[in-house]
Amino acid sequence: MSSSSDDGPIVGATTARKADGTNTLTDVRFSLERWLLKTSRNPFVTFSSLIQPVIFFVLVAEVFGAIAGTALAETVADVHYVTYLTPAIIVQSALAAAAVSGIGLVDDMETGMFETILVSPMNRSAIFLGKILSEVIRIAVQTLIILGLGFALLTLKTGASFGTFARTGIFGLLGVVVVAVIFGGVFMSFSNIVALVTGDREATIMIANLLTFPLLFVSSAFLPLPALPGWIQTIAIVNPITYGVDAIRALLLGEDVAAVVTVSSLPAPWAVVVPAVLILVGFNVVLGGIAARSLKRRSRAEVQ
Amino acid sequence: MQPTDTNPSRDDENGPGEKNLAITARDIHVTYEDGTEAVQGVDISVRSGEFFGFLGPNGAGKTTTIKTLVTLLHPTQGTVQINGYDVSENPTAVCESIGYMSQETSVDKEFTARENVRFACKIYGVPEGERAQRVDELLELVNLLDVADKRAETFSGGMKKRLDAATALVHQPPVVFLDEPTTGLDPEARLTFWEYLQSINDHGTTVFLTTQYLEEVDRLCDRLSIIQDGQLLTTDTPDSLKSDVGGDILKLEVTDTSSQSIDSAERVVRQSDVFDDPSVKTTESGLRIRDRNARERTSELFVSLHEADITVTGFDIRSPTLDDVFVQLTGEQSNSDGKEPSKTEAEAEAKQRVMK
Repeated sequence: MSSSSDDGPIVGATTARKADGTNTLTDVRFSLERWLLKTSRNPFVTFSSLIQPVIFFVLVAEVFGAIAGTALAETVADVHYVTYLTPAIIVQSALAAAAVSGIGLVDDMETGMFETILVSPMNRSAIFLGKILSEVIRIAVQTLIILGLGFALLTLKTGASFGTFARTGIFGLLGVVVVAVIFGGVFMSFSNIVALVTGDREATIMIANLLTFPLLFVSSAFLPLPALPGWIQTIAIVNPITYGVDAIRALLLGEDVAAVVTVSSLPAPWAVVVPAVLILVGFNVVLGGIAARSLKRRSRAEVQ
Repeated sequence: MQPTDTNPSRDDENGPGEKNLAITARDIHVTYEDGTEAVQGVDISVRSGEFFGFLGPNGAGKTTTIKTLVTLLHPTQGTVQINGYDVSENPTAVCESIGYMSQETSVDKEFTARENVRFACKIYGVPEGERAQRVDELLELVNLLDVADKRAETFSGGMKKRLDAATALVHQPPVVFLDEPTTGLDPEARLTFWEYLQSINDHGTTVFLTTQYLEEVDRLCDRLSIIQDGQLLTTDTPDSLKSDVGGDILKLEVTDTSSQSIDSAERVVRQSDVFDDPSVKTTESGLRIRDRNARERTSELFVSLHEADITVTGFDIRSPTLDDVFVQLTGEQSNSDGKEPSKTEAEAEAKQRVMK
């Protein structure tokens, strides 16, 4: 038995005291800190969503780069395949990070942490906002790493300058990060819906794995849409990946690159970026809304 | 299942006033979406500083009840007040004044013990300057200070449970709710854990504990309720429940364990006037007799049995345990060992998980 009973009232009937200045914002910070710390304690899981896209980047650039030039030349002139591919890899890494978002939630539900935190006086929106922020940070960091890698690959192959790679400059790159985060939101929502509906770790992981790979191929990620078979073009039009890739590509190249939706009244690259981002925001609103609703049901557990 | 006296008003008239009540639940009903009535009219009154047990087999409605008390479930009907705050009107005040330990061991296993308790300090608003000291004190209370900087994933089940208990106490809650805290612990870890619970209660904290183990409530609780199929069977102190069983228990073993021999032994017990109104049950090797005079008059029974040519090879006289209370109230063996989740609650929860 511990001797602490002599040290004073560690526990007891005293009224709980809450610190002054505890508010929603600090709750968000606490939740964010928890998730960032969890992420840093699982480096393997964190890096797997980065390593796969990196390996893929190098391999696809080498293997398809040799033949893709022709397809590119027919649709988009004057773009090296590495530059063309970079947006696809950014989207792939954002997708890989976002699609496992629900796993943290399922783990919390399985260990009881979900309920333990719900029973705490913590602001409920803050609990989840903190988690979302931690994933936003992760996607932003991954995007910057892929951008750096893309530039390195291009320089190695052609000796191109930074300006050739990022034609829209620093603001273009920031835009790329923002779009990657908005794009990530779509699949974060989706993954969390799966987590909340199934409450099952395996199902959440399986759907993440099933999604990340095939969906990339039925989009404009690897080749311009007109170069793809008709049925893939049809699927690509409803695939959020297409819009993420199109917007990022337009931002990086500073021009309209055979995107699916173009608003011709706007100047390049906005003619592509604006509609694509709007479509992604639409996906976010719909899926995010469903996720928030499932979450509310879960956490309220209202019984009639 | 007998109808039982679950009228709480009795408690209020004779007991302390409302303000000394840490937990008040009035006629709570919880019906899940699939129509399962997991809790059907439960009344609970727990005084401040009391150690209250909530005993029942798997699927009886214990977890549903405790989740209703800690704001995780909204009752379909009825009201709950914790420390004077209404659960549906002022859930935040309730959350601030309670500690809750769920049935699952809810610790972040990739965090150290210290980090786990520190996170709990943060979310319960323990002022930053007091956190480090509070963490050390609580880890000492649950005897984990020497492993404070080890990750929880390296801990045994008992250590994780103790860590979980420490995180539930960071804000010095006047009431703690523990949902089957010792389920899955080995006997030694369970004993150690009981000591911590006892010391928490000794400090004045009201403890509400659900369990399937009769021994646990017998050992720890001032009062207990027994719940089955969503209804309370009884609420009382362990001692008076045991004395309500009516007499001590005498177990007899006979040489000839054929059914004729045991039946004739039973006839002897019933026909002889040794016991006034004994409750007799046949067992595999003899008889189980419950009677007020079991202790005093057993030797007389042995004489009668001897005259009837029945040889007794073993016997045991003991005071009633809560097991006997349970058997008498429910007409079933208790679930204290080898349990098989019964349907209602377990299934409803599984279903709820899929639906929500």
